[in-house]
Parts: sequence; C-alpha cells; structure tokens
Amino acid sequence: MDSAPITEPILLILLSLADQPRHGYAILRDTETMTEGRLRLSTGTLYGALHRLLADGWIERFHQEDGSRGKQVYRLTTLGRRNLQQEITRLKLITRLASLRVARKET
Amino acid sequence: MLPLYHFLVHLYPATYRGQYGEEMLAVLSEVLTENQKKGVRAQIVSAICEITGLLCGPPSRSTSASLRVPFAWKNPFQGESQCALISGFPKATVTLMALVLLAVFLAIAKGKDIQASIAYANPQVSPIHPTQQLALLPTLLLVLAFACLMGAFGWAMLFALRRTGSQRLSNVDVSSRPGSGTSLSI
Repeated sequence: MDSAPITEPILLILLSLADQPRHGYAILRDTETMTEGRLRLSTGTLYGALHRLLADGWIERFHQEDGSRGKQVYRLTTLGRRNLQQEITRLKLITRLASLRVARKET
Repeated sequence: MLPLYHFLVHLYPATYRGQYGEEMLAVLSEVLTENQKKGVRAQIVSAICEITGLLCGPPSRSTSASLRVPFAWKNPFQGESQCALISGFPKATVTLMALVLLAVFLAIAKGKDIQASIAYANPQVSPIHPTQQLALLPTLLLVLAFACLMGAFGWAMLFALRRTGSQRLSNVDVSSRPGSGTSLSI
C-alpha cells in the first residue's frame, strides 16, 4: 500500500467527511473553518479532488433529499477511513519526533 | 460571474460535466451569495480563486498520484498550491485569465466610483442642447485651421530644404527626338 503523505486539500476533505457525510458546499465551509480561513478550496479544486477520491474508492456518493431539491452527499469508505488513519498516525509520529527534538535543544 | 463559470464548466469533458456540472454550479451559486455580504474585495478574491481553481480543475488521467504528495516526505501543512492538485491547463493561462478578470473588476469598481463622484459634484447635469453644440463649432473650425496652417508650414520648410521633390520638376527636360518619340530625363 502507498504510504506517501496525503496532500493537504485531500487530507482536509477526508477529515471533513470523517465525522459525518457532507455535501459539496458543507465540505468547503468545513475545510475553511478547520484551517481558520487559511485555506479556501475553490469549487473546481474541490470537485477535482472528489472525483479522484471517488475513482480510488476512498469516498462514496449518495443522493439525499434536502428540502425542495436533492443533494449529492459524500461519505468515507472503509478504505478511505483506513488511509486517513494511517496518515494521522504518520503525522503523530512526526509531531512527537519534532517535539522531542525541539525539547532536547531547549534543555 | 455565474455565466462565465457556466461557460468554463462546459470546457470540461462531457462525462465529468454530466456527473458534477450541476452540483458545481449549485455550490458556486451558494458561494457567490455568501460573498455578496462580505464586500467587493472578498468578491474579487473569491472570483479569482474560483476561476483559477476551475481552470486548474480538469481531471487528468492518473488518479491515485494526485491524492498523495509525489515526494518521499513533504510537510503537508506548508500550503501546497490548490492548482498543483490537478493541472489541465498551462499555468500562464491561469495567470493571464486571473489578471484579465482582476482588471475587469477594477475597471468596474473605478467606473462606479466615477459615476458616484460625478453625481455628487454636479447633480444638475442635463443633456447638451443643440445650441450648445453649435457654440462649439467655431472652436472646432479654429482647431482645424490651426492644424492646416501647421501642415502648410511644415511643407514649406521641407520645400525650402529641397526635400519635397517638387523642385525636381524644374529639372525635367522634355525633348523630342526623331524616331524615339518624347522622352523625359532628369
């Protein structure tokens, strides 16, 4: 399995879908909130990323009735959740290593 | 903005457009509605971001590579460009489109400012009356006469300096030779 780091927009999209399924606009807002406005995905970038995640089987799409009109909603698959978990583990290792190195330098 | 975006979405492959086109337009519509409350600057930034993202967004053939960083390790929080995700157009195109759009928005904003300032400074502007138009006629004729005078002065200078070619007419030797008809020699 590929263990290369996941790109930041992809990671944020996966994190956005980790707790609940969301539609496109909700993903945009959630990624902006998570990064405190630092990163704002454009619609084109978002759907380019969603297309890839769907093609690789990391997420799946389903139709949800929402008021007057239906919306396409996205959620993580088992594969997507596993890849996200691996990425989080990798980031934790790096963060722990970085903290240790910085702490050692300070003492 | 929405018609332009609609046009750009039509540049995408038909299958992709059929799958996501309507959804993308619906999301963009919501984004535009939200940005209208934030002011002109937010709208300009958002428009540039959206159009750039759309130009960078066409799906390429390889899928798995773009999900992960293509190098051994890279700081995922170092602000990777969104356009680097999927690249379907030359980067110069994106930059030029963004600059053109920015120029258009600035021109619109400037036009609105001018419109507002004129209305404030001279609120009783009325259409130009035909008699006022006729009053301008002598001035226009004067300008035309001045232009003609300057042209004539320039030609006279050139003539004096023997640069017009007119003086060569005096050197033309018109002579008739038997059997050869009329010939000109300068």
